[in-house]
Amino acid sequence: MEQVLKLRNLKVVFPTDYGLIRAVEGIDLDIYDRECVALVGESGSGKSVTSQAVMRLLGSPPSLVRVDVLEFDGRDLTRCTEKEMQEIRGKEMAMIFQDAMTSLNPVMTVGRQIDEVYIRHEGDSKQAAREKTVKALELIGIPEPGERANAFPHQLSGGMRQRVLLAMAFACMPKLIIADEPTTALDVTIQAQVLKTLRGMQKGCGTSLLLVTHDLSVVASIADRVYVMYAGKIVEKAPVEDLFIKPHHPYTVGLMAAVPTLTDEKKKFTQIPGTVPSPVNKPSGCYFHPRCEYATERCRREMPSLVPVGQGREVRCFHPLSVEGGKSSE
Amino acid sequence: MSDIITLQNVSVHFPVRGFLPFLKKGEIQAVSDVSLRIGRGEIFGIVGESGCGKTTLANTMVGFVKPTAGKVLFEGVDLSSLPRQEFKKVRRRMQMIFQDPFSSLNPRFNVYQIVSEPMLIRGEDDEESMKARVVELLEMVGLSSGDLYRYPSDFSGGQRQRIGIARAISLNPSFLVCDEPVSALDVSIHAQILNLLLELQEKLNLTYVFISHNLADVKKLCDRLAVMYLGKVMEAGNSDKIFAKPLHPYTQALMAAVLNIDFSGKREIAVLPGDTPSPIDPPPGCRFWQRCPKAMRGCKDVPPEYVEVEEDHVVACHLVNGFPKTELPDGYDQPLVRSEKTVKVRR
Amino acid sequence: MKAKRTLGQRFWQGITKRVSGAGALLAKVWAHKQGKVGLIMVSFLVLVAIFAPSIAPYDPYDVSQRAAKGLPPSREHLLGTTINTGQDIFSMLIYGTRVSLIVGVTSGVCIAFVGSILGVAAGYLGGAVDTLLMRLVDIMLVIPTLPLVIVLTNVLGRDFWIIILIFVALGWTGLARTIRSLVLVLKNSNYVKAAELAGASRWHIMTRHILPGTSHLLIMSTALSSAGIMVAEAGLSFLGLGDPTAISWGKMLAEAQSGGALLFGAWWWILAPGLGIFLAVFGFMRLGLVLEEIANPRMKRTSSVYKLFKSLDSSYVEEVFRSMDDYQKIGAAEVASGGGQHYGTGLEA
Repeated sequence: MEQVLKLRNLKVVFPTDYGLIRAVEGIDLDIYDRECVALVGESGSGKSVTSQAVMRLLGSPPSLVRVDVLEFDGRDLTRCTEKEMQEIRGKEMAMIFQDAMTSLNPVMTVGRQIDEVYIRHEGDSKQAAREKTVKALELIGIPEPGERANAFPHQLSGGMRQRVLLAMAFACMPKLIIADEPTTALDVTIQAQVLKTLRGMQKGCGTSLLLVTHDLSVVASIADRVYVMYAGKIVEKAPVEDLFIKPHHPYTVGLMAAVPTLTDEKKKFTQIPGTVPSPVNKPSGCYFHPRCEYATERCRREMPSLVPVGQGREVRCFHPLSVEGGKSSE
Repeated sequence: MSDIITLQNVSVHFPVRGFLPFLKKGEIQAVSDVSLRIGRGEIFGIVGESGCGKTTLANTMVGFVKPTAGKVLFEGVDLSSLPRQEFKKVRRRMQMIFQDPFSSLNPRFNVYQIVSEPMLIRGEDDEESMKARVVELLEMVGLSSGDLYRYPSDFSGGQRQRIGIARAISLNPSFLVCDEPVSALDVSIHAQILNLLLELQEKLNLTYVFISHNLADVKKLCDRLAVMYLGKVMEAGNSDKIFAKPLHPYTQALMAAVLNIDFSGKREIAVLPGDTPSPIDPPPGCRFWQRCPKAMRGCKDVPPEYVEVEEDHVVACHLVNGFPKTELPDGYDQPLVRSEKTVKVRR
Repeated sequence: MKAKRTLGQRFWQGITKRVSGAGALLAKVWAHKQGKVGLIMVSFLVLVAIFAPSIAPYDPYDVSQRAAKGLPPSREHLLGTTINTGQDIFSMLIYGTRVSLIVGVTSGVCIAFVGSILGVAAGYLGGAVDTLLMRLVDIMLVIPTLPLVIVLTNVLGRDFWIIILIFVALGWTGLARTIRSLVLVLKNSNYVKAAELAGASRWHIMTRHILPGTSHLLIMSTALSSAGIMVAEAGLSFLGLGDPTAISWGKMLAEAQSGGALLFGAWWWILAPGLGIFLAVFGFMRLGLVLEEIANPRMKRTSSVYKLFKSLDSSYVEEVFRSMDDYQKIGAAEVASGGGQHYGTGLEA
């Protein structure tokens, strides 16, 4: 199967007056054709920084980036000039942000903004671009696309705006779309709509999708494969079903328990103790050990490596859990 | 069980002003005709999407917003009828926990100043006893006396929320409004804060109003609840009964929208079509008719009445209760055939 | 036993808190390179103004101390003398500091005072007070300032204090509006709500939450408006609208022009007051901008980030990067790339 993105050993630090922020600490990421990969983590896990680094959107300053391999569709992105990158962004690689209101230009109609993509990347005339725009809006499930194209962003609801962003991202049928928390700001019923559209479009257009989110329930609904990040490192990597049925890393287990469902027991919340570590001052050894109930002396001392455990799964833990709640004998 | 808060036909309308200051453009009916009772010692959930009026309703309960119509009774007393000083004294027994732990603490104050402020306002000025009390409160919420002189910027979101909780319980309130207390926090912190709230409820005999957009959280936490849509209560009552038998199509849709993480069944996203319409000058009939998958022709014009279908389970839906025997449009009980155009977008 | 604090104790506590707060702020300004420059310049000017009589070799107000007219710079007269009156220009420059500083700083402080009170009143009280004040601001903003000043000085006289009064009367509007919008934000903040729930009085909320919340804006605006007013005062004096009895930099410039400094090539006469104005305005501006940056760290210029980058120890950075590597890096990478096939089959299922 064709590999769309190959990222090896990405490291990002941000120097500040208070010391180095170690945002991303050596991440490998593979995205294959037509696949939806989710990057899950909480605040400070480095998931957004990773996604920006993939698009080479991290400036230096403020950041310092090291990467061994960054290949997109067979091309070495580390050797691309900024001009070539601009050509790639939007055409072959597109991004969807959390806040549609700030990613859209408030004084331009949404139609014009989508037109621009076609005019810029495909060299269309204004008229041809508008025809494509209307078609794209229709495809994305916006009623009366011809009229809606003439609306300004503030005249649309949050869900509609997010759809416009989707239409814009899918405009040139890119190889890869990076969606950074695409539904976090939306209401539950609207979130379901947008997720379904996103999933449908991704499958329909044959695009690969990198979904960056903190919400495991979103991951469970649309992802194929999952990377779980914690404090700048990948702690677990697995196909989505395997991950949810048999999580290996204690952190993944904790995260899953923290997602409320309608079948849960009443008045009882399984909690992970402690707080998310500060990126300036991370604990020794395994970053998760202060919050982990299975932590041993070794976890306090040394950082476990990300090791393969079969079936395309990898886990960064000395004492991975094998069955739900149970503990393996290593 | 006596009621701690009773809402009697409460409505809150805000005028929308147009270009000319004296011309009223319309009215936002943030809350309209809500009647609820919240029993002492229970956790009462208010669920709904943005713009459904849940926060306005909570603000009305604690007296930040005056109802345009109707009455709010706190322990049987109408707060708006009390003289100002008396009102302040009674209101001290209601406190609030806010959604955003970053804007709810004054960045210029240290933890001691933040948590002791309500006591200072009440007129205490003995430093020693106040300090002891603050330490006691901090320990209750899982912080320590070492945090006393640190500033909010030194803490993570979850810890800030703990400080906010310590401040809220410092005056021994009996009623606490939690406005989405965990939605701004990291997922792994949610359970900690919710457990803390449960623990405090037991210890201090508190009553909570828990506002949330997440039905699953509400189900786990709440004894009773109200589902709101566009300023109206759609379904309310005992949590177990509602979740066992959700009758209103909106409640059903909300339940379906809770994304599943267990892979036993098929992976499918249930979708409720359409957008939340604008709360400015809403239609006279059922507020949900535009998005309701089971809407009938009459739903648009005839407002549904609240009917208690079983003990402590109220629903406002024609589908469940039937249409009232008044003048009705023809074919009122026929299914509504909708063209795309009827779904108006917020302008 | 309950030890109640007396009013005096509270007062002193309040004072010491303010003083330590001011000290901390000064330390922050001092830590900033540009702030240091501004602070030194401003304190230098203040010292000059205070000790003007001991620094200046002559008293420019004293008619008996006048020398020959139009002397070039020399040891007796460091910056020469004026062509029309024979006053010592260096002494005039020193004494001029007093007028500029007093007009500038007094107006700046008064503007901060008036602007904050009216802004807080409009923002916090709202309603009719708000509407009234903001309409007043609207009206003030569209009145052309210079003609109004000319009319006012003609009607009220050109006394020193009247000029300050005019500056304050015209200068408070912008600040009041900024403060009002900040107060609106603070007023709706959740910590104010929490205080209200605890039964706080309006006075408590205004003094504990709202006014302290605007303090950084006030300090900053005082520095910046002082600088602006110094320029304005110089301009007024240059136009002959200043206090005719006081020696100010603007008036020195005006006299230089009318006295024919250019004609006779008396460059020192023009240069001296110009330099004074420049230094004072530059110093206050620096101070104001640095205070603004301290109050709002997001304003931090990119140059400081570049500086941070330059100061980085590259071997330390490399060390940090190396510390991020996994022990079994190579082995894991091999397996990961080799295991690609697995994902493919897992996907289609």
